[in-house]
Amino acid sequence: MNTPLFVIYGVLLLGLTGTAEYQGWSWTRVNQQRVLPKSIRDNPGAYRSSYGGYSRYIGGK
Amino acid sequence: MPAVQAKSISCPNCGGPVQLRGFAHTLSVVCPQCLTVLDASTPEVQILQTFQGKTRTQPTIPLGSRGKISNTQYEVIGFQTRQVSTGEDSYSWDEYLLFNPFQGFRYLTEYNGHWNFVHLESALPEPANARGRPAFRYGGQTYAAFDSMTASTVYVLGEFPWRVQTGDSVACQDFVAPPWMLSSESTGGEITWSRAEYMTGSQIWQAFKLPGSPPPAYGIFANQPSPFGGDVGSSWRTWLWLNVVLAALVFAFMFLSPGRVAFSDRYVYSEGAKPDVALANTTGPFVTPTFQLDGRTSNVELSIHTDLENNWAYFSFALINDQTGQTFDFAREVSYYHDSDGSEGSRDNRVIVPSVPSGQYYLRVEPEMARGSPFVAYDLKLQRNVPNYGFFGVAALLLLIPPLLTTIRKGSFEAARWRESDYAPRSSGGGDD
Repeated sequence: MNTPLFVIYGVLLLGLTGTAEYQGWSWTRVNQQRVLPKSIRDNPGAYRSSYGGYSRYIGGK
Repeated sequence: MPAVQAKSISCPNCGGPVQLRGFAHTLSVVCPQCLTVLDASTPEVQILQTFQGKTRTQPTIPLGSRGKISNTQYEVIGFQTRQVSTGEDSYSWDEYLLFNPFQGFRYLTEYNGHWNFVHLESALPEPANARGRPAFRYGGQTYAAFDSMTASTVYVLGEFPWRVQTGDSVACQDFVAPPWMLSSESTGGEITWSRAEYMTGSQIWQAFKLPGSPPPAYGIFANQPSPFGGDVGSSWRTWLWLNVVLAALVFAFMFLSPGRVAFSDRYVYSEGAKPDVALANTTGPFVTPTFQLDGRTSNVELSIHTDLENNWAYFSFALINDQTGQTFDFAREVSYYHDSDGSEGSRDNRVIVPSVPSGQYYLRVEPEMARGSPFVAYDLKLQRNVPNYGFFGVAALLLLIPPLLTTIRKGSFEAARWRESDYAPRSSGGGDD
């Protein structure tokens, strides 16, 4: 890669890194559910998490 | 160059006309009809050698062609093919003799589509050393030894300022400093030095206005400039500057993203009986008090610290905007086991929730453990605007790719060049000439 192309590549990469950092992007996978009734606050058990129901053994020595 | 009337003589062998373009410089000339080599140094033109070959070679640049190289117009007045035989293997190259009445003689050599513009040097190069190889210094440059051979003239055409004959042989040595090549030719105790500059076929075609396009060049020639030569240093310099900018970005975000704590609390979770601890006890899902996330849309880091002992806990979280109901749903497992052999896992875990707008939020927490497990005490800490240094690490790695690629490609090019040399690295098995 010649230098001008490298400069363009580098500036784009640093711009993307800065944007990701500023916007608070993350590698983490997070489900976003946009509509949730306010009653959840009073009845937390009514909410069904996408990750719930985990009660099983994993790992261990 | 103004049109000059060429002198003409008759061939004593076939009677055909033979033109002399090199004036008094021409000592021998080849009859274009019968290819007899004639002595042109005296008015009585004598036969030096009759043509014994079987095939005629047609020069790529016809004799009499005129072309401009380095702002000087030259005329092609001679052509010879030289051959090197090494056991069963042999190879040859073509040499064109160029003439300008004011500048004198120059040469063009061609091998496998690689061209060189050659100038005879009058000064003597000084012996030197280039990374353990024999070398010569000339004109402020060090030329590393490349190869040596004995070359024989196998075909001649046109006129020459020496008494040329097929079968003439010279001992040649080449020293390279791309795009330059310093060559010595020794015969009968006399050594002639010349310096050549690499030229592409396109440059030759353009200079002599030859029809069509030049044939492609095969392989890598001794003094062929590397297409990556200048790029390696400049790409590493660019890499250094981009890393300076990257470091500045890291420092900038250390201030822009200070990782302010928006919420923190300590809880206990148990499957059944209430443990004897002075902490908020939960046996199922619960919600935290609301807290404010300020500023721009940014990330949120939730860190979990537990007091697990040879056990695991699983936490399902929902970060819920109290006004809009927008929910970020995520989960983390924490497990920690240890015995005399060592430990596995960690009592802590963390998750970064991306791009969370500002607003009033609360957390819904749903812990889980295996049935019959003892209780677990855990801390939840939620921080706003946490620097994610992983992005900078990835950017630093990605910035390394271009200079590394350029360096590798240049290294491959140079390795291919030196494989053809007498000084090839031992692992490559030596040159094939």
